Amino acid sequence: MKALSGVIILLLVFQLAFAREVDDGDPLLNRPADRTYDIIIESGYLKVGVYENFPPYSYQVNGEPRGIDVEIGKRIARELGVEFRVHWIVPDENLGDDLRNNVWKGHYLAKRRLADVMMRVPYDKEYAYMQDSTGEYINEQVVLFGPYQQETWQIAFDPEKLDSVATVAVFQYHPIGVEIDTLPDFYLTSGLQGRMREKVRHYPNVTSAFEAMRAGEVSAVMGMRAEIDHELAKPENAAFEPASNGFPGIGKQVWDVGMAIKHTHRQLGYALEEIIGNLVKTGELDTVFANLDLQFSVPQYYREFLSEEAIARAEGKLQGPQ
Amino acid sequence: MRSNKFGIRIAASALALAVSYGAQAVTDEDIMNDANTPEDIVSYGMGTQGQRFSTIDDLNASNIKYLQPVWAFSFGSEKMRGQESQPMIKDGVMYVTASYSRVYAIDARTGEEIWQYDARLPDGIMPCCDVVNRGVALYDDKVIFGTLDAKLVALNKDTGKPMWIKKVADYQAGYAITAAPLVVKGKLITGVSGGEFGIVGKVEAYDPNTGEKLWTRPTVEGHMGYVYKDGKAIENGISGGKAGVTWPGDMWKNGGAATWLGGTYDPDTDSLFFGTGNPAPWNSHLRPGDNLFSSSRVAIDPEDGSIKWHFQTTPHDGWDYDGVNELISFDYKENGKTVKAAATADRNGFMYVLNRENGDFIRGFPFVDKITWAKGLDPKTGRPIFTEDGRPGDPNATNGTKGNPVVAQPAFLGGKNWMPMAYSQNTGLFYVPSNEWSMDIWNEPVSYKKGAAFLGAGFTIKPANDDYIGVLRAMDPKTGKEVWRYENTAPLWGGVMTTAGDLVFTGTPEGYLKAFDAKTGEELYKFNTGSGVVGTPVTWEMDGEQYVSVASGWGGAVPLWGGEVAKVVKDFNQGGMVWTFKLPKDRVASN
Repeated sequence: MKALSGVIILLLVFQLAFAREVDDGDPLLNRPADRTYDIIIESGYLKVGVYENFPPYSYQVNGEPRGIDVEIGKRIARELGVEFRVHWIVPDENLGDDLRNNVWKGHYLAKRRLADVMMRVPYDKEYAYMQDSTGEYINEQVVLFGPYQQETWQIAFDPEKLDSVATVAVFQYHPIGVEIDTLPDFYLTSGLQGRMREKVRHYPNVTSAFEAMRAGEVSAVMGMRAEIDHELAKPENAAFEPASNGFPGIGKQVWDVGMAIKHTHRQLGYALEEIIGNLVKTGELDTVFANLDLQFSVPQYYREFLSEEAIARAEGKLQGPQ
Repeated sequence: MRSNKFGIRIAASALALAVSYGAQAVTDEDIMNDANTPEDIVSYGMGTQGQRFSTIDDLNASNIKYLQPVWAFSFGSEKMRGQESQPMIKDGVMYVTASYSRVYAIDARTGEEIWQYDARLPDGIMPCCDVVNRGVALYDDKVIFGTLDAKLVALNKDTGKPMWIKKVADYQAGYAITAAPLVVKGKLITGVSGGEFGIVGKVEAYDPNTGEKLWTRPTVEGHMGYVYKDGKAIENGISGGKAGVTWPGDMWKNGGAATWLGGTYDPDTDSLFFGTGNPAPWNSHLRPGDNLFSSSRVAIDPEDGSIKWHFQTTPHDGWDYDGVNELISFDYKENGKTVKAAATADRNGFMYVLNRENGDFIRGFPFVDKITWAKGLDPKTGRPIFTEDGRPGDPNATNGTKGNPVVAQPAFLGGKNWMPMAYSQNTGLFYVPSNEWSMDIWNEPVSYKKGAAFLGAGFTIKPANDDYIGVLRAMDPKTGKEVWRYENTAPLWGGVMTTAGDLVFTGTPEGYLKAFDAKTGEELYKFNTGSGVVGTPVTWEMDGEQYVSVASGWGGAVPLWGGEVAKVVKDFNQGGMVWTFKLPKDRVASN
């Protein structure tokens, strides 16, 4: 009886631990723990940094972390033989700020709080090796590695209002919803010499832009493909369709998304890189995406060395073992 | 640790002292008369007009060498960063805030703590604009201040216990409060700070006794203002008349124009004067138009929040020249007539003298050595005459390249930033804490935000001269001439105060409290407080002696930005103290 209740308590504690963050920093010196690979394995958990309130990538349902980045975080923790622990990230003005606040230095209001690994970090060599005006490498404190998704821009539209989206030029005449302060915002507000500007409607996120489309305020919504797919999979958005237009002059149409660690923790990086590489190549990641009604495209990084057959397997188009 | 017996005994005895001394409630009359009552400081600005001029003349050029420290007080904990507060004084008690939304009541004679209040900030809060706080308002038996999570907190002045807490805006949407509120005719007035995107600036009035909201006035064209009666919101007119006049599309909905530096009040015209921040988004090519009321000064009726007039210093701002800087009311004589004027030194490098009755432009002139973004001001309207190619380029027009960098001077941190200037009724001069720096801005095509490709701007701030960045200037508002200047190696980031003893006080990031001759600029006094001074000094009279106080603790926006300026300031240590000095009685007449 006693033993059983002990197990139950243990299970409860385990459940809670999932949702709550660990504070393993040094309270006396007010600095984060220096969690190298060995320390992570010994501690028995991996703190995975994911953005908060960011469906379908990472969000909460009844206090439980959900989303594709959470699922992948759980998979890599399992492969590493440790527990998954969530580290929520409040986005700052740009990626550089998020890396500083969550991967290598800590935010000045929460100096003990760092993730062991951060998800949803664009994998871009040009960004990784960017220099400032004095020649210093801006991102030298972090290592970007392990691309696990290819992300792209996408429009969904209301067929009641629009027959199709042949080109973005239709948004000179039809209102379109965007998340404020994103590339779609800038693109539609300034594209075509600003002729779509009057039709751009700003929302705090893609979910509220879809609400506005259901209310008839906008005829279309532009966002990232996974965000759009996630919304389109909801029953209340069943009437809407994905568009197949291009985005001329958008600058970056497609990009790889991977992870980041502190530059002194490369051993952890190598371990995670191998895990994520296997998940991509075996097609397991494709299954994880499909379970969440999302499309998986093999990142460009793998396309440069995998055969067409291997890419097809990774994207779930070939069954059977390698 | 703080609750040991000894500490309690000290706190209790100090409290008893304060109470037995007969601490009085602060009235509307006290606040309106603050500039003329040297024994207390009950308004931010040492008078609601914000002149920061003290009528005390005991301390002067001949005896300032005898000014001596009497006590220093540590704010404690590890929150040693950015002490931008102005202390208040009432009945021998100092009320001062520290960074991270903390308030202290201190025995002004001994430096012993009476009480301390630490606002409990939510986890995961990301304040846009550092962790500073600039001071409290005093009213009746309350000490009222704003927090980083955008709340107003009223504390009992004797115990430091909260009497009411009111949410002004949602910190998760990017709002904060860092400025000192002000009380005008029984109304508590506050602005809001906000990040770059999604927010709308506003000025609001609350009942200081209950925290009940009385009116709200958005500072972006198109938003409805409200007056609250019996819990009901009554429409009180749209700011600017209607939406979409000076903004394209729905961009007015998230137009920015945060009122983050608070305001001043002029009893002569019964007007609140608030400055407003830059428009959003940062890329000005997305929002053709003047984008009212961003980067402006707005005169507001304290009764119901109606806008009386506005003056926009940087229409269609593309340089992040926030227009929040304080508008100081002052009178001057011209051709035998008294002119009811007000002056402001803008981030954009121009100083403006306005008619405070109607907002008309009287004159404007540069108060920095070089301005690149504008050739000058229209002599009739004060509108800037933009320089060709002076505007940062459109990131979308560069097709994934960096485009040509634009050099803009002043840098976005401004010819003058938040730190308040002072006006001397003796000399008729404004003492302006300013900085000489420029910025390179270019488009950053390789940029990401929240896992997505983005279009950002890159910039570096550069000192304009090899040997100094900060310049304390004496400016003549009638001629636009610089009467004297003091050059400082590091950028100046602290407020200024001047006295009837013809002294000008300010602090430096190097740690000094300094005093200058108000007529000549000669440096007369310096004392190193141990950390950079970015607070605003005050002076008052107690037991027949003149006191001076200033908060010390390096921080604020300067160390947040890298580049070549960082090299000048990187070795400055942070801190958290308030220092108090006095001129001993027997030294008043000495030479």
